[in-house]
Amino acid sequence: MKKEIAITAFKCKKCGRIHYPYHDRCLDCKNREFEQIKPHGNARLLTYTVIYNLPWGFDQRFLVLGVAEFENKIKAMGQIKVDSIEHLKMGMKMLPSWEPVRVQYGEDVYGLKFEPIK
Amino acid sequence: MRDVAIIGVGMIPFGRRDEDSLMDMLAYASLKALDDAGLGDKGVNAVYVGNMGAGILQHQTSIASSLVDRLSLLPAAADVVENGPASGGSAVKNGLLAVASGYYDIVLVVGGEKMREVTGWRATDFVATMAHPQVEYPYGITLPGMGGMFTRLYMEKYGVTREHLLAVSLKNQEMGALNPYAHVEMTLDREGIFDSPHAVVNNPIAADPLHLYDLCPVSDGAAALVLCPLEMAKKMAKLPVLIAGFGQATDTHTLQEREDPTELKAVTLAARQAFEMAKLKPADIDVAELHDAFTILEIANSEHVGFFKKGEGGKAALTGKTRFGGQIPINVSGGLKARGHPVGATGVAQIVDIVWQLRHELPKNRQVKNARHGLTVNFGGFGNNVTAFVLKRVEP
Repeated sequence: MKKEIAITAFKCKKCGRIHYPYHDRCLDCKNREFEQIKPHGNARLLTYTVIYNLPWGFDQRFLVLGVAEFENKIKAMGQIKVDSIEHLKMGMKMLPSWEPVRVQYGEDVYGLKFEPIK
Repeated sequence: MRDVAIIGVGMIPFGRRDEDSLMDMLAYASLKALDDAGLGDKGVNAVYVGNMGAGILQHQTSIASSLVDRLSLLPAAADVVENGPASGGSAVKNGLLAVASGYYDIVLVVGGEKMREVTGWRATDFVATMAHPQVEYPYGITLPGMGGMFTRLYMEKYGVTREHLLAVSLKNQEMGALNPYAHVEMTLDREGIFDSPHAVVNNPIAADPLHLYDLCPVSDGAAALVLCPLEMAKKMAKLPVLIAGFGQATDTHTLQEREDPTELKAVTLAARQAFEMAKLKPADIDVAELHDAFTILEIANSEHVGFFKKGEGGKAALTGKTRFGGQIPINVSGGLKARGHPVGATGVAQIVDIVWQLRHELPKNRQVKNARHGLTVNFGGFGNNVTAFVLKRVEP
């Protein structure tokens, strides 16, 4: 079963700036009150890379990562489900999902994954 | 506030130093700086140690206390300053403020890191602990990975090409080959890493679009300097170098929250503060050490400090403007790219290299003629905490 994307972003109640991750005060107007919002719809790929020198905890040859923007303007990093970055282009539409992104202490850690929409 | 001068500097060769502990390296560099200052047995009031990872990499904490004990500098005040890869620059700032305020007269600042005693896997993870612990780190992002995403955006917006990056890589390796303190004393051949079929093997993608030779090495090393009031420095044997300007600024932790992620606001602000304090302009600088952990950063930093307009830094590198003998020589030491990047040491090492330039002490093939003013930029996180120093030769 598809899991809900467990991300919460924070929209400033005064100026409307969207924050992800959480800040105690708005980065623009210093206001301390936020509306909690969830990512909505598909995402647009802003930038990406493939890394071959992986950190401790990743037992794989390479990792494709990117930052994408949801339809309601939340921007977030995630892993990208492609075999090669030849398939990627900045600005392309991505389908988000909430899946295991690594294993820590024997447990799956869930996070954002993106997949190009064909 | 008192004017503050650098009266002694020291560095040990960067690289893989299996035979030395972190404390050995800090001590060796410190003694060189103390001897260079000609202090003899004169007391040091305070010691600031720039270091990012002893707690993680060496499982050792309170290293400033250990160092003063080892150097017999007791009862000097001693603190560790941790600010990621800008730990060195921040340690120098603490020394500067302590002397400028009048609280201390003689301060030793040393930066060091021992990164090669763990596997590359562990070292990469250690550096990645700078990433945001909830929204970046879990995904496996590394600092080169951030560099790759930044490079892609910079290429798209400003037309930077792999040729531009290559120009920085070749230049810095060429200079590093002349520097006995450099980790990678080796020139690179354009054909071997770019133009031939072998290039794919010799220079593979590390964090696309960055390739292996766009990245600095993982290094061990240490560098140190001694500060005192300028008036006191004028009575000492060594030619003093004035810390004419200092600046520091921060930016959002994550790149994604920056309105324009190609804007390195903290670099611009830190450099601007340093220039304003020094009452100098970018055009007054004769030589600069800019934080080139990735080749793109030398290009971006050269624009953000004001040497070139946005989008012109890559072309400047390609046409030789930033070479030794060019309009503004950048990273004559070889930079992080060739001298290496023991993270806590880098900000101090950059200043040591500029001090040698301003004292006119380097061999002809690396000495910028009549150098009077120098700039350093030490870049923490992915540009979320940056220090900048403007240094000035004090004529005898």
